Order: sequence, then structure tokens, then C-alpha cells
Amino acid sequence: MSRAATGELEALFAAYTNAPRHTGRELMQLSVRERAALASAAPGSFFDRWTGDDTGRAVLLLTLAERAGADQFMTTAIGCYERGDSREQQSWLKALPLLPGPERFLSVAIEACRTNIIPQFESIACENPYPERYFPELNFNQLVLKAMFNGISLARIVGLTGRLNSELSRMALDYAAERRAAGRSVPLDLSLALTKDARTEEQLR
Amino acid sequence: MKIFDPHVHMTSRTTDDYEAMARAGIVALVEPAFWLGQPRTMAGSFVDYFNSLLGWERFRASQFGIRHFCTIGLNPKESNNPKLADEVLALLPRYLNKDGVVAIGEIGFDDQTDAEEKSLVRQLELAGEYDLPVLIHTPHRDKKRGTIRTIEVVRRVGLPEERVLIDHNNEETLPFVLETRCWAGHSLYPNTKMDEQRMAVLVKKFGTSRMIINSAADWGISDPLKVPKAIEVMRANGVADADIQRLVWDNPVAFFGQTGRLDVADISERPAIDRQQKFENNSVLRGEQITATR
Repeated sequence: MSRAATGELEALFAAYTNAPRHTGRELMQLSVRERAALASAAPGSFFDRWTGDDTGRAVLLLTLAERAGADQFMTTAIGCYERGDSREQQSWLKALPLLPGPERFLSVAIEACRTNIIPQFESIACENPYPERYFPELNFNQLVLKAMFNGISLARIVGLTGRLNSELSRMALDYAAERRAAGRSVPLDLSLALTKDARTEEQLR
Repeated sequence: MKIFDPHVHMTSRTTDDYEAMARAGIVALVEPAFWLGQPRTMAGSFVDYFNSLLGWERFRASQFGIRHFCTIGLNPKESNNPKLADEVLALLPRYLNKDGVVAIGEIGFDDQTDAEEKSLVRQLELAGEYDLPVLIHTPHRDKKRGTIRTIEVVRRVGLPEERVLIDHNNEETLPFVLETRCWAGHSLYPNTKMDEQRMAVLVKKFGTSRMIINSAADWGISDPLKVPKAIEVMRANGVADADIQRLVWDNPVAFFGQTGRLDVADISERPAIDRQQKFENNSVLRGEQITATR
């Protein structure tokens, strides 16, 4: 890589980190018109929990995607994630469904679900259409169980209804049984993870 | 009563914890290698982690009169990073013969992926080659299925079941583990996993054979005094002292001692505290007078 290219890369990483100094960290206050524009430009994405720095960082990645080749974009974007602090990683995960070739970042998105930092987990699991679109069944099911385990409302998982499956129902019912055996409460919205057949079964108990 | 906590991540705990543990009767402990709350990005981080378990942490424990042993292994979560996993698995043999390494662990399932199974199988094989027991973590999610799958993998690899400790059991998984010859661990946590009252019920129902309890205290909401606290609760619930003694001392010592890597003579008495000692020029003292209390 030439010195100029290295310098440009370092400048991008620095800008990615420094975004909040220019954008602030407040939640975006979107007007109705802005919401409508976003809904048609990025169907399935939800911006209610986006902050100024989330938006600034998304713009940086999208600008990079326009200028760089596909491979260089991928390496650089992953560099922004891997060397990012938790907040930078949260911005990155929120922007993920908007990036070109999002399926190429699947392993990063799955790895992100392993975090114990709940806001970071929420950035990929909640109000984000990425898992619904790209996660294999095993990883999608694990995401739903982890949300349940952490007391996150299942209604926040985009497209859950369309991804229901019998294995997920079994896992959710096993989880309910485990909670009951331990004398603990069962999440009130657990039925959102059940297929219609499994729901009937649960009601018959 | 002498206590052995067979699963506690002291790297995440303070010197106050060590003092309280010693005061409560903990004489020896095992610190399993695990994950640190966020993924490591390079194998070198594991080298330093393993070295600290064998070095500084053991020394730190000794300064409070506690014998520190450890298990070495690649945890399930980080087994999902293929490059990292290969490099760390290749590192393990270098560590498995070292003094104070009493098992391979924590290994097992998290998301129950193929990559996790591959890492588990390889480490069960290493346990056979290095004549070590294994400490197996069972998953938080889809726990019952994960426990059953773990037992199937152990049987397929053929490691003798009595060399296997399956940890973090609950009411749902324990019957499956007790059907095997594996040992059954229970992690007593403030809000999740197992608690003291439920543990007393399980002991009265299933007895103490191959049963083990631990605090599994780490960097999350957890309590390194859970084993001594459980002793009080079990007494209050009418569990005999002889049975409690089996749970908190005889069983973990028998499990980790079975291949000769845990020197039983070595742990029969609390080590003498000498705070003039240093580890690579570092002392736990920060300028204070040398006073050791028990």
C-alpha cells in the first residue's frame, strides 16, 4: 500500500472514531418527512435509536463503499469494527444492513451476538433487519434465546414472525420449563418465539 | 470446615475477595481458563492469559494463604473464530504438562455450532493424550439439549466418563448427567444458574455422589463466597456435615486428583503466608507494613 493510501486509511479510521465530535451523541430527531424518505431508501431499517454519531459513521462507511473497490471496502470496514470501541461497534452494527454486500459481513455479525455488553447485542439483535435477512437458522434461534435470557422484548427483533421454526419453539419451551423448574418467572412475551402449533401446545399445559 | 472451590475466576476478583475467602475457610481453588467478556483478536492474548493463570494469579492467591490451581483450554465462544481457534489449540500442549494445571477446561458448547464441537472433540482427545480430566461448561441457552449433546460427544471420543466434570447443572440437566459416570458441577450464582436453597433440595434428592458445587465467580454479578454460604443453607436444611464435607472438599479433590496432577498432600494444610515474597519483582504489598492475617 502506498504511503498516500496508508495515510488516507488512517484518516478514515480517525474520522470513524472522532465522529461524535462533529455530530454529537444525541438521538436523531427525525421529522415525518425524513422518516418517509428513509423508509423508502432503506426498507426494513429502523432509525429510532440512531444517534448523531451512528449516522456520521454510517455516512463514512457508505462514502468509502462508493470510492473503494469491493475488497478494499470490506477490509477497511472490518478494520473499523475490529479496532472499534463498544460505541463504534454499535454504530457499525446498526449501519450493517445499509452497506453493499452485507452478506459478506455475516461472521462479524454472528460474532457480535456473543458480546456480554447488552447495548452492543441490541445493536444487532433489535430494530435491525440484518439477522432476519442473513442469519442461518441456528444463529437466528440463538439470538432470540439470548434476547429472552437478557430480558429484551422479543417484539424488538425485526422479522421474528417470518423466521419462526419448530426448533426455536422447542428451545423456547425448554427454556420455559427450565425457568419453572428453578422456581423463576417465564418471560411474558415468550409466545412470540413459538410457531402456531407450539403456541397451542403451550396453552394446553 | 475446609473448603475447595473448584471453579472461580480469580483474575477478575480483588484482594478483599481473597481475604474474605480465606477467612470463610477456602483453602484451595481451581481457576478455569475462560473468556474475558469480549472476544480476543489474537492468539498472543491467550499466551499472556495462560501465563498469568500460572504465574501472577497463583502467586497472588498464595499471599492470602490459598492454593491456586488452574485448567487450561479454549472456551466455546472463542472456538467460533476459526483462525484463532486453530492457533490456540496448537498452543495448548505447551501448557498441559505444567505444574498446577489440573485439567483441560472450560470447554464445551455455547451456541452449539460445528466449530464448537470440533474444538471440544480436539480437547477431549488432548485430555486422553495428556492424562488430564476435563471441566466442561454447559450452555446458558438451549441448556438441556446442549448437555445431552455434550454427553454424546464425550462418549464418541471415548474419554473415561469419570474424568469428566459437567458444570453449571440445574434441575433439568442433572438427571442426565447422573445417568452417566461423569461428575456433576453446580454454579451458585446470585441471579442465574443455581442458588443455595435449590442446591440443598438437589442434594437431599440426589445425594452427594459425584456432586460438586462452586461459585464460578467472575467479572459478572457473582459471589466468591457462594460455597461457604451454601454450607450454611444446607446445614439449615438438615444436610449432614459429612455430606457437606464430601461436596465441598472430598469430591473436588477426588475429581482433580484422579490423574495425580493435584498433590493431595500439598493441599492438606493452608500454605504459610509470606508477603516478603515477590513474583518477578512484584509484591501484593503497596508500601504497607507486612502483616499477614488468617
